[in-house]
Amino acid sequence: MTIQITMPGEKLIQGNEACVMGAIASGCNFYGGYPITPSSEIAEHMVRRMPKVGGVSIQMEDEISALASIIGASLAGSKAMTATSGPGFSLMQEHIGFAAMAEVPCVIVNVMRGGPSTGMPTSPSQGDVMQARWGTHGDHPAIVLAPASVGEVFDLTVKAFNLAERFRTPVILLYDEIIGHTRESVSLPESVTVIDRVTPDDALEEFWPKEADPDGVPAMSPFGDGRRFHVTGLAHDHRGFPTNDTAVAEALINRLHRKIDAHLDEVIEVEEYLLDDADVAIFAYGIVGRSAKLAVERARLNGIKAGLIRPLTLWPFPTAQVAEVARKVDTIVVAEMNLGQLVGEVERAAKGQAEVVSHLRTGGEPVTPTALEEVLAKIDGGNA
Amino acid sequence: MTRREIRIAGAGGQGVVTAGRILAEAAILSGKKATHSQLYGPQARGGSSRSDVIIAPDTVGFPLADNIDTLLALSQKAFDKYVPELAVGSLLIVDTQCKSDTPPEGALYFPIVDTARLATGGELATGLVALAVLQAHTGLIDADALRKAVSGRIPQQHLKSSLEALEAGMELAPQGALT
Repeated sequence: MTIQITMPGEKLIQGNEACVMGAIASGCNFYGGYPITPSSEIAEHMVRRMPKVGGVSIQMEDEISALASIIGASLAGSKAMTATSGPGFSLMQEHIGFAAMAEVPCVIVNVMRGGPSTGMPTSPSQGDVMQARWGTHGDHPAIVLAPASVGEVFDLTVKAFNLAERFRTPVILLYDEIIGHTRESVSLPESVTVIDRVTPDDALEEFWPKEADPDGVPAMSPFGDGRRFHVTGLAHDHRGFPTNDTAVAEALINRLHRKIDAHLDEVIEVEEYLLDDADVAIFAYGIVGRSAKLAVERARLNGIKAGLIRPLTLWPFPTAQVAEVARKVDTIVVAEMNLGQLVGEVERAAKGQAEVVSHLRTGGEPVTPTALEEVLAKIDGGNA
Repeated sequence: MTRREIRIAGAGGQGVVTAGRILAEAAILSGKKATHSQLYGPQARGGSSRSDVIIAPDTVGFPLADNIDTLLALSQKAFDKYVPELAVGSLLIVDTQCKSDTPPEGALYFPIVDTARLATGGELATGLVALAVLQAHTGLIDADALRKAVSGRIPQQHLKSSLEALEAGMELAPQGALT
């Protein structure tokens, strides 16, 4: 389905506002949240705009209930979203697992600030990358998208809703305080493509809530349409009822992963820049991806053959894409605003084909283009 | 035109953040790309305030300041804090009330705060007057784009006096004197 956007032309938009615009363009009609810096503008704009599109925005008593509210709304047929930052994201973890297990499409935005704990509310960080993957317990699938600009916040919010609906799974949009608060000139697209969850066309009595199609995704019946309805976080069979049958449980968990892993081409997005003849590549995401791009361009002016690989999808990790880069270059510099969260994944993907070094920063200051330019110059000098 | 990094720094209540947004919007109206960022946190509630605007012809790339080339210093605190960080050869526009033992080389002094007070009766339009000086001096943004951006951003009840402050600011600096 294609939805027309009624706001063409170039505008100065804040990252968090672009998130709301992307959500509304995707058909989001329920927002449940608990405001927290640096994500609060999302709540503010949702409160203003949801009623205008016939939707509902509600401030819950905390982040646990915020996620519970969007799970409920989604089960009833809404497209639902919440937004938070580190401390709230921690509180949401239990329900993220529930949404993964019960296969409830929803979008969770985490605008990362300095941690741990309440940390640095107005400072950027990329400290929640592993939490977004492994924060909730058990072998759950995870889709995590990381925009690097205000325009990309819009695009990836749309993608987050589409993937959530397509695969019946929670999708996490992960960006930092800088992306959230910066205002940037953005040309919004004239229309966006929107995917809606598959709803059942079986006769009422023939429908089972967790009977998956060959793709591994069960059709979803909105609560109250008269079809059988049962939802649980316990391991369950095709009827949605709890089971201790180990074979059924194993098949369920495997299916939760397979439905995404079999369609990585729909999920994984990577920007590759000047890699064809590169000797050294920077691996960076979010705001650091933009520092890296500028550093690469400046390094090229100095004769250094540098390139960039920037994942827009952090999870599932773009293993094949990183392995391909590792075959081309001598060195991969992993730059992150944390003490080293994705560097291990890059090493795992590179399998020793390229040297992997990290450039890490924490404490609330971004990794700057100048800092990365110096790293590239040093590596080039060492190889000369 | 290459990438320009402009910092507007002053006191809370001088309209520094609004001025930054307006500068970025005026740049877009002038056919360029722009980003705007501001200091968050306790600074927003009294004390110092800061807006950074990056302007580029095609694409901004890194959206934050990396090497500031233009500083509008509108208060003593801002002057003391940011002038020492400024690279040699940068454009420095300073309010005449900022004092120093030896004025920084090449600094351009204008009665920015006084002009805002005279036009509006308060200091809220200080940032706008500074933008007007910047516009008149550099032509970095079009004068009409700046007027249009002000009209789009400032609430109706303050618009007339704000536009007057803007015109007064443009008269402080000779048109196109510097690039």
